[in-house]
Formats: sequence, C-alpha cells, structure tokens
Amino acid sequence: MKQFLAAAVLAAGTLLGAAQPARADDITIGVSLAQDDNPFYIQMLKGIRARADALGWKVITVSANEDKQKQINGVQDLVARGVKGVLISPIDATGVNAAYDAAAAAHVPIISVARGSTSPNQTLHVAMDEKQVGRDIAAWTAAKLGDKGKVAFLGGPAGAPTFRNLWDGYSETMAKHSGIQIVSHNDGPLTRERGVKEAEDAMVAHPDLAAIYAANDDVALGAQQAVVAAGKKGKVLVTGMNGVPPALRAIKDGGLSMTVELNPVQWGQLGVDVLAGYLKGEKYNQQVFIKHVIIDQSNVDDVLKRMQAG
Amino acid sequence: MSDAATSSSVPAAKRRSFDIGGHIPLAALIVLVAVAALAAPRFLSVLNLTNVLVQGAVMAVVAMGMTFVIIGGGFDLSVGSTVALAGCIGSAVMLKGGVAAGVIAGIAAGALVGAINGAVVAVLRVNPFITTLGTMVLVRGVVYLVTGGAPVEGEFGLPPAFIAFGTARLLGISLLVWVPAVLLLALSWLLHATPYGTRVFAVGGGREAAFLSGIRVERVVASTYVWCGALAGLAGMMLASRLQSGQPTAGEFYELTAIAAVVLGGASLTGGDGKLYKSIIGVFIMVVLGNGLNLMNVDSYWQRVAIGAVIIAAAAADRLRHRAQGRII
Repeated sequence: MKQFLAAAVLAAGTLLGAAQPARADDITIGVSLAQDDNPFYIQMLKGIRARADALGWKVITVSANEDKQKQINGVQDLVARGVKGVLISPIDATGVNAAYDAAAAAHVPIISVARGSTSPNQTLHVAMDEKQVGRDIAAWTAAKLGDKGKVAFLGGPAGAPTFRNLWDGYSETMAKHSGIQIVSHNDGPLTRERGVKEAEDAMVAHPDLAAIYAANDDVALGAQQAVVAAGKKGKVLVTGMNGVPPALRAIKDGGLSMTVELNPVQWGQLGVDVLAGYLKGEKYNQQVFIKHVIIDQSNVDDVLKRMQAG
Repeated sequence: MSDAATSSSVPAAKRRSFDIGGHIPLAALIVLVAVAALAAPRFLSVLNLTNVLVQGAVMAVVAMGMTFVIIGGGFDLSVGSTVALAGCIGSAVMLKGGVAAGVIAGIAAGALVGAINGAVVAVLRVNPFITTLGTMVLVRGVVYLVTGGAPVEGEFGLPPAFIAFGTARLLGISLLVWVPAVLLLALSWLLHATPYGTRVFAVGGGREAAFLSGIRVERVVASTYVWCGALAGLAGMMLASRLQSGQPTAGEFYELTAIAAVVLGGASLTGGDGKLYKSIIGVFIMVVLGNGLNLMNVDSYWQRVAIGAVIIAAAAADRLRHRAQGRII
C-alpha cells in the first residue's frame, strides 16, 4: 500500500511536473502535538512521518506536553523556520489560539489533527466525529448491559472539547435508556494511575456498578486492573478509547470490554494528505472526519493480526 | 496512634516542647474519617479501607523521604519525576534481568538523582528549590528520552512475580502497605535513636551551630537527598507494580502532595522539626479526602477546591495552635 502510494505520487509528480523537476525537498512541515508521551500521539507521528517520507517532505516537530505556552512558542518557532504547513493537535480549543494567529499571519496553513480549535485561523480540522463516538460507546454499553445498570463515567481533562463532545454524545444516548443510570461523572488526567484509583472508589461507592466508561485506553487499562483485582472481571464492563496495543491485549484477556480504534497512524497520514491537497488548492469542508471502528472480543483477533502484519 | 490521641494534655506539652500542638494533624484525620464515614457509609467498609491504605502506600514512602530532606532544612521538588524514572528504568531492567535486578536498578536510579541533588545543594550551595526544580524538569526529560514516551511493559508484560507483589496480601493487608509500615519503624529508629538522626535534626535546626559542634554538614545534608531519592525510587517500583508497567507520566504532582503531607504532619519548612509518622498522617489526610469525596460523588472540580481549602485550614490550625501554646508558656 505504502509503496503503491509512493509510486502513485511519483507518477503524478512526473506527469504534472514534467517541465520542472520535483522540488520535494523544498517542502518542510511542522508538527506540534499536545503530548509527546501518549501512545496515541506517538503513533500519529509515525503516520505523519511515513506519509511525509513518501512525499519527500521533511518534518520538524516541537514538543508541548500539555503546556499551552510551550505549544504557542513551538508553533511560532516553526513558522519562523519557514515551514510550508503546520499540523497541530491543540492542547485545548482556545488556549493556544495564538499559535493559529502566528501561522495565519505568515500565510502558513495550520491544520488541526484530532483535537480542534475555535480559532478562525484554523485552516481545517481532521477530526473524529466525537459525539458519534460517544453515542456509539453508549449504545454498545447499553446493549451489553441489557438496558439496565449503573455506569461510572471517568472523563478526560477539563476544558478539552473532545472530551466534552464525547460526554455529550454518551449522555445523550444513555438518556434514551431509562434503565441506565450514570452514577458519577469526573474529569481528570488521562493516566493509568487515576483509572485504578477512581475505579476502586467507584466500585466501593456502588457495589452493583455495571460499567465504567474511561476517557481513553490509559485510564481504561487502570480501571480494568482495579476491576480484575476486585474479582469482577467480566462483571463490570470497562470501555476505553484509542485502540492502543496494550488495550487490545486487555480486550483479548477479557478485563477490558471494548475500545474504539481511532487508528492514530491513519490520522497522521490523513493529516498529511489533507495538507498536501490543500497546498495544491483542493477544497475541503471545515471538518474532515476519519472513520472509527469499535473493537471488542468479536473482532480483536483480526485487529491484532492486522497490526502485526502492518 | 491512639495513645497520641489521648495524651494531648498540657503536662505532656510541658515535658516535651516539640509535642505542643502536635496532635492537630491526627485530630484532623480523625475528623475527616468521621465526616467521610457519616456522609458515605461505605467509607468504613473493609474493601474501602483496604483501598485507602493501598492508595496511600506509595505516597507514604515518598513523604518519608521528603521528611528527611525537610528536617535537614532542605526541599525536594524532583521526587515525582524520580518516581517515574525509577519505575521506567526498573521495569526496563526487569524485562531483561529479572525482578530483583529491576527493583535494585529502580532504587539505585532514585538514589542517583538524590545524590546529584545532594551534591549540588550541599557542596555547590545552590538553593534547594532551584536545584530540585531543575532536576524535576531534567529527570522528566530523561524519562521521556529513555522510554520514547511510551509505557514500559514489554511485549508480554512485566514478570508475573512483580505484578503479583502489587496485588498480594499478608495477614489481609496488601504487601504494598507493609513496605511503608516496615520502613516507618526502621527509619524512625534511624532518625530518633541514632547519632546520624541527631545530626540530621542538628543540621536542619542550624547549620552554623551544627558545623561548630563538629558535624560534617555537607555530608549530612547530601545524605538526606540520597534518602529522599532512594525512597522515591522505591515508591516508583511500588507504583510500577501497582500499575503493572513503568509509566513515564507517573508521579506528576507527587512532589506537591508529599510536601503538603509533610507540612500537614506538622514539620517545619525551615528545618529541624518533623516526624515520619506524622508525615504519614498527613499523607492519609490527603488520601482520605480524595477517597471520601469520590465516595460522596462530589464533582471533580469541587474536589480540587475542597482539597486546597483543607490543606490551608489544617496547616493554619497547626500554626495557630503553636502560637497559642507559645503565648501561654
């Protein structure tokens, strides 16, 4: 697939630019992700690099690690270094708008990938349909629970619109299932440690807890550990999001019930593709949606196989 | 602990001046437990009390190390990063060389960070706040560098024996809780019954006086940071066993919780005063607060407000008590 695309791009380049030799080495893009240490972003960066390599582009990354000021500075540095485009996963919807302003002032397209921004200077947003993901997780959970039971909701960091949208979609769907009761809703950091602790507390507060929603796979892995340690494996459903490899293994083991694969590698690739299209003058909607896949015990083996293959 | 509660009478305060007002932290903890038990009946369930002990175990070990440094007149902001470093390095070594080698590597990594802190603070005489702020950032960077930002858990997970440690129990109590319990006894003996302990208090109480009485101040000060680092390293390994992986994001804000716990326990940030068991009471004030608020279904935003307010209130009550006693006597 990769080779085919590379070949296709080369062929296209030869056809279009026969008169002038491809000057691919002129194109350098900048990347600023919200976190360096989150497996989701590590994978996304892999996708970005792979597709950029295929196009013959150079990639410069700047690190932010959830520090808004650092992310703004980083994007300003990228613009100053003359990148042709910026892929950014903003820490939150408004906090780093100065980064978008800096790019726009230099007429550099700035495309949000995964998380988005309210900035009018956002060129476009490669996004998942967050509310729909929330609805899908809720629908899956309600079906497994037979439309009744108590659910604890371990949300993401306060302020991040992704996690608000997930909550909106999730709670909207759960409201239609009158037998399901969301007994707690906490925001917090996306760490395994928090997942363990809050799942322990939730199971004490509600001994008949039926399911735990975790904002991402790290939190979910922590929560499923607490569930397994409490001897409630399979009795308390745990749902995650992202589809990172340890989560897939946990689904296979049965501690984790489901996750939503966002395929971060594909996000990165799509981000580069959209940027490439935009630079060529193609028109896009403000939001370009990426498709998501629900992974549970029924298909986890296929996904694991696909991952090993590719 | 119970005898401390009953002996808060004036004669005791007269006999030993450092005991004045020393029971506020324990009283605060008891009040908190009572409130939590009333508001959330399940708080006192065996399952929950077990959870609370485990949730506090890692922080208790960090806070004991912090108590060493603070008694010695110092300060250590790098413990959170050190917890992550130890967990990640320990886990990585463990995947290649077995459980024992991994645990030793984790503790050694922590001790090394402590030794660097100690050398810079004691020998180069850089302000401990700045020194450890520097190592806090630096060590977190090293963690991300060595792990590539990804959790360390190998292809098939950490060794089962190590993971079992995080869940196993002895006499009904998690092994993770036995670690700080045993350390509390051993380290209290070290601090309160050995010449080394006396030197730590002396150095924290006044460097010049300690120097004039023949104590090698630099060495003692540096040693407190090594203790703190090594204990943070041990805490990192405990956390790794609880999280079944070395997490590069582990231990964030541990330094603040540990410092708050030590101060809640009545130690003085100017040095020369403090007790390990009181620091652990401070840890459990923080843990019970978080756990109780979770059981009461308090909104996570209000939890932060409540935790901040309780830290200030408890510390202020302790200070007021100190002042009141000072005026009477």
